Amino acid sequence: MHDLDLFHLPRNRLQEADLALASGLREMLDREVAAKRLELKEDFEGLLEPALARMLCEMGLQRMMWPEELGGEGHELHLAPYTVAAALEQVGRADVGLAVAASGTLSLQALLVGGEGCEVLRERLSSLFLDTSRPLLVSFVLPVFGEEGDGPGWGGRRLQVEAERTGEGWRLRGSGVRPLPGGLDAGLFAALCAVRGEDEPALVIFPGDAPGLRKGPELKKTGLAAARSAEMNLEDLMVPEDACAGRGAAALGRLLSWYRLGLTAAASGALLAAYEIIAEWGDNRVIKGQGRIFKNNPLTAAVMGEAAQETAVVRLLTYDLAEMLSELEKRGEAGSERLEAYSLLVAHQAYAAGERTLHRIMELMASAGYAKEWQLERYWRDLKTVQCHLGCVELARHALARWFFGSEGL
Amino acid sequence: MGRMRTMDDFSRPLEYLTPLGETVGEIIRAWVEREVIPWRRGFDEDYLEHRLIEPPMRKLLGEYGIQRILFPEDLGGWGLGHSDHLCVAAFHMFEEIARADSGMAVAFGVVFWPLVLICCEPHVNRRLCEEFAPMFTGTADAVFSCMAMTEPQGGADIENIELIRGSTIRTTAVLEGDEWVINGHKLWPTNTGGEADLMAVVCTTNPGSSDLDDIAIIFVPGDAPGVTQGPPYEKAGMAADKNGDIWFENVRVPSWYRALGPGDDAKYYGEVVALGNMGSIAFAVGVMLDIYERLRDFVERKRYRGLPLKENDAVAGVLADYAATLEAVRILGYQCARMCDRQDLYGPRWGREVVAKARAHRSFAVDRALEAIGRVMNLMECYGADRDWDVEKHWRDIKMVQLWLGGKQLNQMEVARWFFECQTL
Repeated sequence: MHDLDLFHLPRNRLQEADLALASGLREMLDREVAAKRLELKEDFEGLLEPALARMLCEMGLQRMMWPEELGGEGHELHLAPYTVAAALEQVGRADVGLAVAASGTLSLQALLVGGEGCEVLRERLSSLFLDTSRPLLVSFVLPVFGEEGDGPGWGGRRLQVEAERTGEGWRLRGSGVRPLPGGLDAGLFAALCAVRGEDEPALVIFPGDAPGLRKGPELKKTGLAAARSAEMNLEDLMVPEDACAGRGAAALGRLLSWYRLGLTAAASGALLAAYEIIAEWGDNRVIKGQGRIFKNNPLTAAVMGEAAQETAVVRLLTYDLAEMLSELEKRGEAGSERLEAYSLLVAHQAYAAGERTLHRIMELMASAGYAKEWQLERYWRDLKTVQCHLGCVELARHALARWFFGSEGL
Repeated sequence: MGRMRTMDDFSRPLEYLTPLGETVGEIIRAWVEREVIPWRRGFDEDYLEHRLIEPPMRKLLGEYGIQRILFPEDLGGWGLGHSDHLCVAAFHMFEEIARADSGMAVAFGVVFWPLVLICCEPHVNRRLCEEFAPMFTGTADAVFSCMAMTEPQGGADIENIELIRGSTIRTTAVLEGDEWVINGHKLWPTNTGGEADLMAVVCTTNPGSSDLDDIAIIFVPGDAPGVTQGPPYEKAGMAADKNGDIWFENVRVPSWYRALGPGDDAKYYGEVVALGNMGSIAFAVGVMLDIYERLRDFVERKRYRGLPLKENDAVAGVLADYAATLEAVRILGYQCARMCDRQDLYGPRWGREVVAKARAHRSFAVDRALEAIGRVMNLMECYGADRDWDVEKHWRDIKMVQLWLGGKQLNQMEVARWFFECQTL
């Protein structure tokens, strides 16, 4: 086993409990996932769903931030970003899809626990987060590219769900709705909805088994077997008035900044896993017949050095984003444009680096890097899948141009 | 308003094309549209059985008879082994098939790969042509051949003949009377995993030797006693290209099953490498052509800020880069193919120069293709990773094209060694 502490970990920012949780997750995932991988591959029911249950229910991730008075563990919100980073890095090391799934659950927790005006909703949803008999997966419904004749848009894209206020709460409608990965098995959804007669969209929370919600079959996609996708239709789905967790860019930004922290930690974990695979390869494989092992050959060593460089930087970025979330909480600036820009920047940077690095490592391993048996190609597919869901990088850069340069009208 | 642009608007050097190549290309395009594209989204799950994949391959290779094209006309072939337009025609066929599925294009191409050694001028082995032609011409079933090179201990080193000179090959061929006795273990050949009907096996007649005379390429029927093919590997993509282990245990074949003889087997192995690289570019081009069509549909249908995506300046920048890459890679690929055809102008295709240049062309083309396709997936956001849009399948498939034939680093060494005359690499 190669020493992952070679990559700087800001231990001074982490609590003992964070390190213990990360260590426990690593041990559990090595035993329950990595050790069974060759046999069970990417089997959701046999391998990944049990792992989700272990980490979310038994190890407490789904109730971690939930207030103690409601039965949760009451982890302080300003400390939680480090905990999320340390935990999901270990989960991502085992399986990026598992970390993506957990990111949804953790980011909605953070929103509900820290969000002003969410008290009633928080109390109403408590039983779902505290139920240790089944993992609570959360998926988001975000704006997507529309087509001609589509309904209302926001920020250039189409809002997939329309919400209408009625005397009994919100009525939700949408067809061909594509939630983020994890939607097939989600017990809760957070959807940014167009509100009939109003300009500002609403972030509405609804359960995965609500009457009027119909999910299609699993959609095949590049990776993320643990976060299964499906299209769905919402036909007059009714939720109470308190199901709105916030409005507009502020609510969405707050949710997504936590989500992006989880995703970035997952990328860091995937790179650490790839480091372990290529380090073993580099110790044992010989290049040029009777020549040197890979790590001692000038060309292949340079590629390995590049992989280490990218891995180290992504880990630093992960904890940097955790620090920003932690300190913004203290200053009450959560949801700010700055955080939106930085979390977007960090997530895109991490996944670009992840994709690049996995490409390079596969190239070193040649055909073996492509065979499922060697376990590398899964990280490559998983990282690419997340990168696609992060959104078009050129359009994301417009948000960065707005923040860093004050660009307008993009 | 003018005619709508299609993938056929990407440039090809028209002066290189031949009526035969174009006609076969049209036949393949019709076959692809009818027999492959409607089913390809199920290919990943079909990697083991090939229930979806084998019927169209049977039609193309067996029923249409394309598997016979390299053999001389008097043996029932089309005589393309004598043509100086073979590579351009092959490039066109490969890109048309790869447009639907690059794994299928690989499986198709590798049927001919070992046959090049015995069917192409100036090194035709008439006796082996006569021996194996009936296998390919006398049936409507698909016949699969393979080139068994890579070994467990050496990986890419087997393909590194210029430097290693066969010294690490552990698959042995011992002449006993008028028979070769072959023992060894090979990994990864295309068209194995139970598929191979005819194998060309890279062996050594003197283990540890770096004398090129000791490298032997010996043909072995897939059903010869002592040959065991393992099941197909499960891979990131390329389901239509079955790869597996092959074990040879005291396998006996006639002594004249050696491709060309001492020295010549190693010499003409360079041709196998050059053509493998040329074909690899065609696979990348075919994939990019299909993605162009899918991408065009996407950016016209999907809208951003009230306009089709393609009308956004930032998106158009990505589209332009994609088109430029495809345009350049396609022209490069046809040039590489023509270089392999016109040995009178460019030198023998087994020579160091053509082999190094083919490696350089393939390295550039496939690297650029992968980058461009990766950007397209990202541009398509959630749909980029969605099987139903086909782009992610191509992205997964084409990665393999970058990894084979010794992998990227070996490729780089070979290219640097020739262009910069490196002495110690």
